[in-house]
Amino acid sequence: MVAWLVRRLAASIAIVFAVVTITFFVVHFAHGTPCGTADRPLPPEVCRQLCRRFGCDKPLWVQYVKYLTALAHGDLGESFGLHRPVADALADAIPNTFTLALAALLVDFALGLALGIYQAVRAGRFGDVAVGNVALLVNSMPVFWLGLVLLLVFGQWLRWFPVGGPNNPVLCPHVDSPYCLLDFLWHLTLPALTLGLVGAAATARYQRAAMLDVIRQDYVWTARAKGLRERRVLLVHALRNALLPIITLFGLAFPFLFTGAVLIETVFAWPGMGRLAVNAILQRDYPVVTGAALLTSAMVVLGNLIADALYAVADPRIRVRGGGGSA
Amino acid sequence: MAGAAVLALVVVAALRRRVRATAPGRRFFRHPTAGLGLFVLAFFVTIAIAAPVVAPYPPHYQIDIAHPDRPPSAQFLLGTDPFSRDVWSRLVYGARVSLGIGAVAMLVAATIGTAVGAVAGYFRRWVDTTLMRLVDVGLAMPRIFVLLMAVALWEHIALWALVLLIGLTGWFGTSRLVRAEVLSLREREFVAAARALGAGAGRVIFRHVLPNAAAPIIVSGALGIGNMMLLEAGLSFLGLGVPSPAPSWGNMIADGWHKMAVAWWSSTFPGLAISLVVMALNAVGDALRDALDPRKEAA
Amino acid sequence: MPTARPRAGLTLAALACLILVAGCERPVGCTGEYCGTIVIASGGEPDILLPPVSEFAITRDVTDQLFLKLADLGLSGNTIGDEDFQPQLAERWEWDAPTTLVFHLDPRARWQDGQAVTAADVAFTYDAYTDTLVNSSFRSSLRQIAAVTTRDSLTVVFRFRQRYPEMFYDAVYHLRILPAHLLREVPRDQWRSTAFGRAPVGDGPYRFVAWKAGESIELAADSTFFLGRPHLRRVIWRFTSDQQVAVTQLLAGDADAVEVLITPDNVQRACADPKIACYPYKGSAYGYVGFNLAAPGDTTRPHPLFGDRDLRRALVMATDRERLLRNVFGDLAKVPPGPVSQLWWIWDPEIRELPYDSGQAARLLTRTGWTDSDGDGIRDKDGRPLAFRLLLPTTSAIRRQYARLLQEQFRTAGVDVQLDEVDFSLFNERARAGRFDAIINTWNTDPTPSSGFPQTWTPAGFGRSNYGRYDNPEVDRLVDRAVTSAASRDQARRAWRAAVETLNRDAPGIFLFATSNVSAIHNRIIDVTIRPDSWLALLRTWRIPADRLTDRDRVER
Repeated sequence: MVAWLVRRLAASIAIVFAVVTITFFVVHFAHGTPCGTADRPLPPEVCRQLCRRFGCDKPLWVQYVKYLTALAHGDLGESFGLHRPVADALADAIPNTFTLALAALLVDFALGLALGIYQAVRAGRFGDVAVGNVALLVNSMPVFWLGLVLLLVFGQWLRWFPVGGPNNPVLCPHVDSPYCLLDFLWHLTLPALTLGLVGAAATARYQRAAMLDVIRQDYVWTARAKGLRERRVLLVHALRNALLPIITLFGLAFPFLFTGAVLIETVFAWPGMGRLAVNAILQRDYPVVTGAALLTSAMVVLGNLIADALYAVADPRIRVRGGGGSA
Repeated sequence: MAGAAVLALVVVAALRRRVRATAPGRRFFRHPTAGLGLFVLAFFVTIAIAAPVVAPYPPHYQIDIAHPDRPPSAQFLLGTDPFSRDVWSRLVYGARVSLGIGAVAMLVAATIGTAVGAVAGYFRRWVDTTLMRLVDVGLAMPRIFVLLMAVALWEHIALWALVLLIGLTGWFGTSRLVRAEVLSLREREFVAAARALGAGAGRVIFRHVLPNAAAPIIVSGALGIGNMMLLEAGLSFLGLGVPSPAPSWGNMIADGWHKMAVAWWSSTFPGLAISLVVMALNAVGDALRDALDPRKEAA
Repeated sequence: MPTARPRAGLTLAALACLILVAGCERPVGCTGEYCGTIVIASGGEPDILLPPVSEFAITRDVTDQLFLKLADLGLSGNTIGDEDFQPQLAERWEWDAPTTLVFHLDPRARWQDGQAVTAADVAFTYDAYTDTLVNSSFRSSLRQIAAVTTRDSLTVVFRFRQRYPEMFYDAVYHLRILPAHLLREVPRDQWRSTAFGRAPVGDGPYRFVAWKAGESIELAADSTFFLGRPHLRRVIWRFTSDQQVAVTQLLAGDADAVEVLITPDNVQRACADPKIACYPYKGSAYGYVGFNLAAPGDTTRPHPLFGDRDLRRALVMATDRERLLRNVFGDLAKVPPGPVSQLWWIWDPEIRELPYDSGQAARLLTRTGWTDSDGDGIRDKDGRPLAFRLLLPTTSAIRRQYARLLQEQFRTAGVDVQLDEVDFSLFNERARAGRFDAIINTWNTDPTPSSGFPQTWTPAGFGRSNYGRYDNPEVDRLVDRAVTSAASRDQARRAWRAAVETLNRDAPGIFLFATSNVSAIHNRIIDVTIRPDSWLALLRTWRIPADRLTDRDRVER
């Protein structure tokens, strides 16, 4: 088990390393000299600073080594547009994306599980079909379009939720009281709901299938035969085993969340990594974009690693077999 | 619009009659949403192909700029947008762009994914390991960030390059699927027989293995087109996709976003269209999966 | 089974906790006449809070609360003579000679670090503004001032090259006095990136508190301000991606004020809202499509298309400016008779300009050789299509709307226009470097044309605001006459009119709109006076009565 984990960890590190290398070469070849293209030359101070960092006239492999050492020290470069280190800008933005992703995951799993179980119990009947189709529709919607519609209905027409931003900048620039925490959560609701709804539809489908599989198993019949109440049978015996695919989904959810976060953050003016990256694109501020891309890749890999580890812990069969997991 | 709907209905009904003759066809239509999904797809494809006939106005024609944002009416089926262009006409022409981009990108992704997966699954050992490591790296980067990076680095990125990139970032899942199929298929007798007869690797892959692995490729293809369309819509919404005045469902949403409060129709209908098409693709994909499932066939 | 009841109990308990916490209010802080927080939603963010090196209007809004001028424009907006100006840093002034102006500074003026404001600061400021290393865009506005010297610690002497009607305006309007003791050590070529610009120290009614990049800037009132304590305790600018989002925030109650409501829909919704008060005022902005008369990237050669005067004239005549305006602005703007804003006293709808006449435009294009020889809908000449790229920033919804409308208008005239939508800083870079074919630009003008107009439409503005490199010696002569030597206001007006009409005949651009602004401010804020040239100029006199303070206003921080 430990050996398997160590192997997976090494593989993850290798993947991140590969992403870093590819990014470096892509940026270097696309951009030519660090001093910008002829169409958009960088200001001389920025150019000087970049050359000090990378060594403009040194051979390519030297620049690569310098790039890696800088990364190892947490130095992701300096943003052209924001005039501050990329690492700082990302450090400010990441917690916001994280909370959004976490809240969305919560909504996703809570709703998805509930719906999946409901559908499995009512398999084949009207409830199952109705929920299934609605879930399919929601899963097919562009996530930013759903956000716009929800913003319009609940934010502007009904005024139940604020129309954007993470907080009330005057009363609660930081979360330092229960009132401010509530304010933050109130601002978080719509974006998290949007992201979570689209994911919940997919989760519900998986959960339904997993539950249906499990319900037909022998040990469930045994539990029923023993005379246990249906709810206990479902929630205690069946669910525990049907949760396994959910853990896989947890790992797969990361890329989707980051992609969705980019669009949702734009719609709701949420100051996370996605919005940072989009603004940086419009300003051709590529240090920020590549920094964000690197960081999200690392987080996706980490998410997969955690998911695999959780899966191994949850499913004794994997532990006995001594590993496996994904390629 | 009514004409297109009738045409689509006729096409689907005819298809249904023919397909139901086969066992997979019956399994396909056992799903209640499969027929509906097929109808929706046929409808949108029809109007996309017949765009010049179906659309009452040219897509970039600004009818009366002094009075934009007209609500839906008899004259303007889905209203006009902030530039006083007919939303229905733009929807119809936009179907060409959005569906086309989805299809082309999916073709690119499916081709590369199949090739890589087949090679990895057939040759195994170090070829397999290297290629699958590559796939892992590819899966690690969220697609939208890769595309954002591309747009940041190359100014004036051409549309065909963008479509190619969308395809190039989307083949990883398919390759894994194909690899799994090829891995199991290569142990079957017909492969051994073909090899014994002296067929080379390429021939074995293309003529014997892949046709039997076609089912999951087709299914993931159907589902994948939907993803590509959503990605294109997202990029166009951010202003990085199809440039104006060419209509795409994504940039139609972007055009009308700011006026949502007073003119909801400009952004709502293209979003609805995307949702319906992707939903139809998902339904059809699901039904296809059941229909083409070899396990069910054996049973 | 016992599992059912505890679960219900838990839920109830959680619900009760939530309600309790939600009912908690923040402790009541500030009370009285000098409380209040105003949140201003803005679609743009300042680049650097150092007046000489920034041209953004939003920067000026912020720095005008931090730094004082010697004297400020009165509400009448009259820029001629010195009678209508209000003392600020200078408590009085006199003319020692026809070209010598002496200011006496108010001894109560203090920098926020405690030091007194002295005449040395004024001399230092003038030196910085005119220094070529600082490269301030205001330098050319100060060209008529020969020297600024100090007589003692509170007396400053301005000497002019000649006598002209707006001398006093030039001396006081552009210079925001800076602290010499804090900026003297900063090398002049590094002013654009110096730390002072991100945490300035001023002498104005408000002092700098914090700047969260991309989010907000906060200022706090200086209770010892010598011209009167500001009533509003805090001013917060909140930045959004564009002005429309800022308006949405105002309508949702997240912000208290926006400078302009932009569109007729916004005006309708805001002014109908009982909690919002609308303040219309003359707009100081005008927008236009500017043609690049020089080749992009090579100013020695004329532009292959726009070097031709007839082509430019044809394009102007092919544009239905009235209907374009109606789409974008409704009633909130007027078609200007030239590069003139509604604020300017020379505004005159009678000024002669090219008419909208698509037939004449078509004939002119055909006559100059542009015909559609291959039937693709786009005119061409010698195998070269009539196509160009239009440069505009992504940050302005107005310009993006215009761009798309113009694209279609030109297409029906047989001209192919591609849009180059770039970020704001890139837009400015390319504009200044002349790397564009045509540009959609807006200028926020000064209250008088004498500084802005020459900068934009004469060779004095080459490499600066005259992006298109328009140069007509006749216009230069007329402008010079209007600014410096006109004996009376009427004479000046006639000279200006002649200048604008001459410029219109050359068609260096298509003048699309001159805004009529409507500002919207939450109605709990009273005594609001808006000076059209700078809407927040009198912010320190706005106040919130003690009985209308909200939670937001009472925050002590």
